[in-house]
Amino acid sequence: MKTIHKILIKGATLIAVVAIVVSCSSTKDTYVNATDVEEFKMEKSGAQMWGEACNRCHLAPSPADYNDTDWETIGLHMRIRANLTEKEITKIEAFLKSAN
Amino acid sequence: MKKLIILILIIGFGHTIYGQNYNDFDTDSTKTEAFKPSKSQFMIRGYGHTGLNSVTSDGETESSYVGSAFAPIFLFKHSDRLLFEAELEFVLEGNELEVGLEYANVMYVLNKNMTVRAGKFLLPFGTFMERLHPAWINRLPTKPLGFGHDGIAPSSGIGVELRGAFDLGGPKLNYSVYSTNGPRIKDGSVEPEEAGMLQFQNYEDNNNSKAFGGRIGLLPFADSSTEIGFSTYSTNKVGATDSQYENVGAFLYAFDFAFVKQFSGFGVIDIKGQYNNSKVDDATYTELDEFGNPEEYTFNNESNSFYTQLSYRPTTSESDFMKKLEFVGRYSNYNAPADAEWSGESEQYAFGLNYWLTWRSVIKVAYQTTDSVGGHDGGGTANGFFVHWAIGF
Ligand code: HEC
Repeated sequence: MKTIHKILIKGATLIAVVAIVVSCSSTKDTYVNATDVEEFKMEKSGAQMWGEACNRCHLAPSPADYNDTDWETIGLHMRIRANLTEKEITKIEAFLKSAN
Repeated sequence: MKKLIILILIIGFGHTIYGQNYNDFDTDSTKTEAFKPSKSQFMIRGYGHTGLNSVTSDGETESSYVGSAFAPIFLFKHSDRLLFEAELEFVLEGNELEVGLEYANVMYVLNKNMTVRAGKFLLPFGTFMERLHPAWINRLPTKPLGFGHDGIAPSSGIGVELRGAFDLGGPKLNYSVYSTNGPRIKDGSVEPEEAGMLQFQNYEDNNNSKAFGGRIGLLPFADSSTEIGFSTYSTNKVGATDSQYENVGAFLYAFDFAFVKQFSGFGVIDIKGQYNNSKVDDATYTELDEFGNPEEYTFNNESNSFYTQLSYRPTTSESDFMKKLEFVGRYSNYNAPADAEWSGESEQYAFGLNYWLTWRSVIKVAYQTTDSVGGHDGGGTANGFFVHWAIGF
């Protein structure tokens, strides 16, 4: 048990370090890349992402259920609770705000 | 002297230039949008549920209106990066109102892949407790075996956590690592029949060794339909400092699975599952034999539980009524250590029919049958019939 515990703590530290390194070394890539490849691969719309991501745990709320201000709070809450990527939540939030 | 005058002039004029800059109220007030939303926002949310339970075991039926649980949630968004969440839970336990603090934590988004949380939070040990247990999300009125009161999976903890997600250009990876106050072991001095059980709800740790845990989740497909996750939770010490159990450690792990997809012309299929395993180091406990003399014993303290649930919503049906229906089935089991005082095995099947009034309000009708051997109430078969109404707001 002691060794498992030690391995685990090391593993957790490693994950944290990798996360820090990766997130600090790639500050501006995702969006640039996303537009770069757009001609080859259709970029998903916020509406489609909403239909896919927001149905995973509970039924997806409709954009009309909340106003823009509330969507910002909920967006941040769900981003963290559901571990969504920044790209997902940015696009979904934009869609929800545009369609309510 | 000339120089001095020039200097004074410079300072004098320079000062008015600054001054104007700092006191330029006119441009400020004419250009701002008067009703721009504030960056700090406060929301009260939450959920409640109520219903009728009728459970038959050993030929005796107990039926009562239950629930009336009310759980308000406070969300305070301080800025685009800083959020505070807290949930209170009000329930009636034998005519007494019990108030619980489900969670209360602050979260700060450090960058696009990392968020730090501190306080009391739901633990990402598998997915059931963190993501699926609220009554308006859980498709059945009951929790699967292995969660809740006699559960083996930890549900919340007080500590710090780092979490986040990575976009792998289609597939997505998410992670969480945390450290919390560790669990305590029940040494049997108060309830001899529970010797060796872990107790997770600790406001204060009973030793200096914290629990460490984490979860890694992978969504291998671009449509986010599937997620597989692996979680661990471990601690070096579960006993109180200087007690006989101080150096007893514990290691828990879980696998979780989720698949949710809308099939055109058919509807939504939703599959969830989780396997939990808990292993506590061997230790010696004391029990009283039939003459009242203390007797020492030890056992292999390993338990596990599993559940899987399938639900189907005919969302593409022509009929408005059918569209709102959901059919659910769930299997779960729980195996306690064979040689513990609380040894036992149970197996449960639950079937439900739900009617969704809105995306967060549902009427659930369910039938559940549990078979157990050993355990707290000596085993047997318990059949339950439930009608519940859950609402999120
Ligand atoms: C990984 C699971 C998961 C995913 C994915 C998810 N949610 Fe949630 N959502 C939850 C849980 C759990 C709660 C309840 C929080 C609580 O009660 O503690 C919730 C609550 C909510 C609420 C109620 C208000 C609130 O903030 O608590 C709204 C609205 C909501 N979700 C919208 C969304 C939207 C929009 C998406 C898609 C971007 C989404 N959810 C994706 C798990 C999820």
